[in-house]
Amino acid sequence: MVDVGSGLIAIGAGLAVGLTGLASALAEKDIGSAAIGAMTENEKLFGKGMILTVIPETIVIFGLVVAILLWLNM
Amino acid sequence: MLLPEPMSRILVVGTKKRLPDAIDLLYSLENVHVIDYQGGEEGFSLGAPLPEASDASHKLLKLRSAEKDLAVNVENIIATIPESKVRSELEDAIAKIDEEVLQAVESRNAKQARLTEAESRLAQLEPYRSIPLEIEMYRGYDSLKVLAGNVRADPEPALERELNGHYELFTAKGGSFVVLFVSSKHLEEAQRILAENGFTEFPLPTGTGLPGTAVAELENEIKTASEELEIANKEIASLNEKYASLILASDEYLSIVVEKAELPLRMATSSYTFILEAWVPTSAYEKVTSAFAERFGDAIHIELLENRGREEHHAEEDEIKMESGLTSAETVSLPVEEEPPVKLEHGRNTGRFEFFVKLLSTPRYNEIDPTITVAIFFPMFFGLMVGDVGYAIPFLVLGALGLKRCKSQEWRAISTMLFYGGIWAAFFGLFLYGDMMGIEFTHAEHAKNLASGWETATWASLLGIDIPHTLFTIPGIDFDVNLGYATKLGSVKILLYGSLWVGLAHLIVGLIIGFYNMIIRHGLKAAIMEKMSWIMVMVGFGCLLPVIIDALANGNPDALSLSNTLLLVGIGLFAVGMLMAVKGEGGKALIDMPEVVSNVLSYTRLIAIGTSKAGMALAFNYISLGRIAGIGTAAGATGNPVMLISALLIFVIGHLMIFMLAILSAGLHGIRLQYVELFKKFYEGGGVEFNPLKIKRKHTVEE
Repeated sequence: MVDVGSGLIAIGAGLAVGLTGLASALAEKDIGSAAIGAMTENEKLFGKGMILTVIPETIVIFGLVVAILLWLNM
Repeated sequence: MLLPEPMSRILVVGTKKRLPDAIDLLYSLENVHVIDYQGGEEGFSLGAPLPEASDASHKLLKLRSAEKDLAVNVENIIATIPESKVRSELEDAIAKIDEEVLQAVESRNAKQARLTEAESRLAQLEPYRSIPLEIEMYRGYDSLKVLAGNVRADPEPALERELNGHYELFTAKGGSFVVLFVSSKHLEEAQRILAENGFTEFPLPTGTGLPGTAVAELENEIKTASEELEIANKEIASLNEKYASLILASDEYLSIVVEKAELPLRMATSSYTFILEAWVPTSAYEKVTSAFAERFGDAIHIELLENRGREEHHAEEDEIKMESGLTSAETVSLPVEEEPPVKLEHGRNTGRFEFFVKLLSTPRYNEIDPTITVAIFFPMFFGLMVGDVGYAIPFLVLGALGLKRCKSQEWRAISTMLFYGGIWAAFFGLFLYGDMMGIEFTHAEHAKNLASGWETATWASLLGIDIPHTLFTIPGIDFDVNLGYATKLGSVKILLYGSLWVGLAHLIVGLIIGFYNMIIRHGLKAAIMEKMSWIMVMVGFGCLLPVIIDALANGNPDALSLSNTLLLVGIGLFAVGMLMAVKGEGGKALIDMPEVVSNVLSYTRLIAIGTSKAGMALAFNYISLGRIAGIGTAAGATGNPVMLISALLIFVIGHLMIFMLAILSAGLHGIRLQYVELFKKFYEGGGVEFNPLKIKRKHTVEE
């Protein structure tokens, strides 16, 4: 039987990944479309565009790390 | 080796009489990167193309049009033709090709037009076939109007009601096509009724006789026309076969002629002389001068303008000097500081990673080429994130295949990542995690850290065989080489902690390279203030890291006491480094300070991604093997073949999904750690690639 505390931790971990995932998505949406726009002008910008696009990925990675740390405390 | 090749700037001066020969020689040296003449020298102007350019361009135009008409596919032609043969046959060949191709294409187009016309007439006539009227009867009335077309509903009842029999309606089989004969008086009303029934009008047919006969005739015509068209197409295909390699060879030969003839557009010329400025690799300078001396004696003069060093002069400094001592007229003639082109040299393995650096930007002349760091760390990080023998083997196979087969740069880059990343993934999979398809070989940490259950299943227990956990012991240092020291799901804390140290080491490597770049550009003093300071900050942070972890994770209050030397050294280094950075770079350094922490934390992704993949693998393994197939459970494996097959399906699909995700996320994050975290510490980029005059032949050979 899982106790309430563990359940709350699990919800917290889920929120940590889910919300940071949304945040990354929101940030990447704008950067990604701008990067595609730039790439149609100049294909050489692919590398720079890709890097800029994955920068907000850090947010969700931190969320994942927090979720993992929470899960370890379950 | 680590820096781009040293370059020298040369000046080539000669008489215009020798220009064509000089151009040939420049191309054959394959070491001369021309600097475009910018104008501004008195008595000199931009050169004009050599006379053969216009004739060659004209011929090239004809050839390209033939190429297009014959749909020559460059990829399919591998035959090569000797250049002398192309040159001697060029005139005749072009005339012949032009004539034959033009004729064939015109005849094909005429047949195509005939076919298209017959087809469109057939389509027009088709609906009238089932109406028993001759085509003449649709036209030529004074007081009658004829309407033909498709309807959605039968208009007959409405017509009967409204028009009182002043009409004649023919309906085709099926009922959707109608022809209405109506007196001119009732035309508007009839049109209204038809419109209400969803009428779309068709053009009336032209010609004579019954539509059925006309259709048969047309069908005949279409048959002959398409046969003729096929013959014409075959003729074009045979022309393609006959001439394709000759056309491509002539195209290549003429393109080379044009390219060479247009080189004067990049030089300065006067009435009788030409001047060309160029970069050559310093190591090739002797070769270039001796080649010119041998061919032209004293007739062409080559002068070494400079051997470019790596130090950097700021344009502003020069301007200030000029302003203080010289008049403005003289400042104008100040030569523009131009960066030498960058020629990178790598071995075969490292060279494959050049693409990843160039994807961002070509390195500058005076900085360390970061290809080597990418070649080391990118596959290593990729492997650390995947860390599974089960995925590493397909990575290796796919990567090796790709490197052997693929031609396009992008696919080669992906194959490079898969192959070298696969090597590291196999290494970490075997020796760090001891993991295959998310299942460990033997118990490393599992039994200790996880509750018992399916999570603790190992290959050894599933297959019922004995896999030794310790492979062998290195004698002397007494080190056990184990199949796995840590588990992705079981030892997360220690792995996360380790990833911080990997990050710290990676960043310090970047800063050391930056330190070196700064020395060669601006000297030791600037390097110490701007880069050594950051190295100190990083090392200071490294000293503080175990203290912080000890205090926060283990709740050890003694860690933060002032008697802890590590704490004092860390704070000291951090503070001194910070002060130096502020002095060297200004207030901007303070803004960058939090980045130290966020950069290091960013490397936790190395473990976080591996852990998330391991979690997914565990879920799929549990569902397919444990739940459905019953392997590793108390009840034992099921004997039901349906269950076993569906378990296998879920197992394969699930792992395939993780496999694809692993390529995507491990690849992207692996390269991102290089670009964003590492390169920011030292890399500027924006150099010009060394692009020497050179003839690339594919369809012709030089004897």
